[in-house]
Amino acid sequence: MYQYDEIDRSFVNERVAEFRDQTRRFLAGELTEDEFRPLRLRNGLYIQTHAPMLRVAIPYGLLSTRQLRMLAHIARRYDRGYGHFSTRQNIQYNWPKLAEVPDILAELATVEMHAIQTSGNCIRNVTSDHLAGVAADELEDPRPWCELIRQWSTLHPEFNYLPRKFKIAVTGAPNDRAASAVHDIGLHLVRGADGAVGFEVLVGGGLGRMPIIGKRIRAWLPQQELLAYLEAILRVYNRYGRRDNIHRARIKVLVKSLGTEEFTRQVEAEYAANRAVAPNVGAAEIARLRASFAPPRYKELDDTDPSVSAAPDFVAWYRHNTRAHKVAGYRVVFVSLKKHGEAPGDMTDAQMDALAELADRHSFGEVRVTHDQNLVLADVPQHALRTLHAELAPLGLATPNIGTLTDMICCPGLDFCSLANAGSIDIAKQIHEQFDDFDYLYDLGEIQVKMSGCMNACGHHHVGHIGILGVDKHGEEWYQITLGGSATGEVALGEVIGPSVPKAQVAATLARIVGVYLERRDGEAENFLQVVRRLGIAPFKERVYATDTVAA
Amino acid sequence: MRQILWQRELRADPWRYPGEDGEGPLVQTLAELLADAGAVVADGAAAGSAAGVRLGPTDDVALLAPLVARLALVVIEFETSGDGRGYSQAQLLRQRLGYQGELRAAGAIRRDHLFLLARCGFDAFDFAPGEDARAALAHLESYRVAYQPASGRLVQPRMRP
Repeated sequence: MYQYDEIDRSFVNERVAEFRDQTRRFLAGELTEDEFRPLRLRNGLYIQTHAPMLRVAIPYGLLSTRQLRMLAHIARRYDRGYGHFSTRQNIQYNWPKLAEVPDILAELATVEMHAIQTSGNCIRNVTSDHLAGVAADELEDPRPWCELIRQWSTLHPEFNYLPRKFKIAVTGAPNDRAASAVHDIGLHLVRGADGAVGFEVLVGGGLGRMPIIGKRIRAWLPQQELLAYLEAILRVYNRYGRRDNIHRARIKVLVKSLGTEEFTRQVEAEYAANRAVAPNVGAAEIARLRASFAPPRYKELDDTDPSVSAAPDFVAWYRHNTRAHKVAGYRVVFVSLKKHGEAPGDMTDAQMDALAELADRHSFGEVRVTHDQNLVLADVPQHALRTLHAELAPLGLATPNIGTLTDMICCPGLDFCSLANAGSIDIAKQIHEQFDDFDYLYDLGEIQVKMSGCMNACGHHHVGHIGILGVDKHGEEWYQITLGGSATGEVALGEVIGPSVPKAQVAATLARIVGVYLERRDGEAENFLQVVRRLGIAPFKERVYATDTVAA
Repeated sequence: MRQILWQRELRADPWRYPGEDGEGPLVQTLAELLADAGAVVADGAAAGSAAGVRLGPTDDVALLAPLVARLALVVIEFETSGDGRGYSQAQLLRQRLGYQGELRAAGAIRRDHLFLLARCGFDAFDFAPGEDARAALAHLESYRVAYQPASGRLVQPRMRP
């Protein structure tokens, strides 16, 4: 993975020193809350329901075990012994003390990590495919480009005070595992007409109050032009994005109001006009970054099936929590953070330390974070899988539910977040209880449930096969259900099935919905999303509101 | 007398802002400047100095292109610290229009913004009320390195080749 050089080290230490001084001035009364807010936000620090919340970046989801151990240490020393992995490849700590945050950042800097620009109206952590470098369908590893964007966007002098937050995702495979179409910019590595690999550029995707799928403004961009083109997009946005209304300030609103064609024309004009001074990505720098992500030293291993004559619990885990690897004899292992009864995406310090140990032993000392709040050991030899499973299971990290209904995305919700209208974690637990029969879950096949506690859509509910949105009705928590969303393949926004349901009825409502699916599917080969697309929402709606026990 | 941090020195502002009485050359609004475009040369010759203009966040710097050589001062107004349009205006003035004169950030300017403003080409700062300009000066040295090319010369952080 990428190693900091002297420039990176100097920068991150200077950042810590700057924030230490800002925190000191705030605590001494020299900065008002209004003055301090944009400064702390740009260092990942929110003031939340109970305490500050610190969001630490895990750029493009990649962690060394040294870094994971540091995350464990921070959870233990400065927090309450756990962290929460978010949908944007960040980790959030819910209980740090404001005065200690500079110390936390200084500790993170020692392992080449930071919390820079994980919030605030600036360019956020760049995210990517959690299977980068190991997926068979990949055209090119996106991570060198992610690192390039990470550096370019870090304290960019012109784009640190944008109209609103700005999120970029990069993928190198046709199967989009990074939800790039719902980012402010989605970059796809694609082959051009002459065979050279470049970027397809999508702009203006996003969720929140105004969910929109990104619009393609460039079919193909030469790779070395990436930063010049990003500068053009950001400059047009910084100059002309709305600043009078926070709900109309994302780039998607600018793209929509100008029209994709006019927006594209403005970006292309700025790109052309700025050629002489725009950042130019030299071949040497590209080579340096590519070398940082060279594949690990794979061994020549036999391709065997470890599930043959194995115990049923191993077979279930192998089938659901591991995936094919592009190198024979290796397997990608998903570490489920969706244990039934636990808050999705949460991990304790002890689990982090133990997983670091396992990653050192079995997966070249690296761990990845997925946008759906699980972890990945990307390079595990098949012959080590049985041992690994036996080691993960007692840690509570081998729940064999990846891709199933209980592998749901879930924001922190009302329990922690000051923006939320309704709880999310309670609903996750309710769904875990309702769907505790794994054979039934496996029969249901792939169903993505995504849940947000408010319109801001941190839980990506619009693009869940089943989306759940918490709403406040006269001080009570209610939940609106959508069906048919998808963040990948044929990207789609879910359709609301009808009036929201009361808190106690959410899991029962899901049970009715999947009941319709089981009755109406054309065999097991037709998955939930396909059935929703074929039938529309009408039969589901009819079932959900069939009696007055559920309907509002 | 208004004190300006100019090229790392604190000095009394020789200029008058639009609407201010007193001595010294008057800074014009963009509309005034454009209306008077023909008279700038004469004024400049008479006063021994060139024109100054103040831009609001929605003013298009491209309109200054034909006048750039006659300008001695451009003041870019930051109505709030969170409004980042002035950073793009500054970069365009320096990089695209080749403006060489004083480029001043005014309004909601505090020490915490100094480094980024300087990187975008500002070389003068009219701070928000209450900010200590001398204490702020040290913040030009907040970072010794940077990742992006930019137009500022007041700070020269080290970059990767």
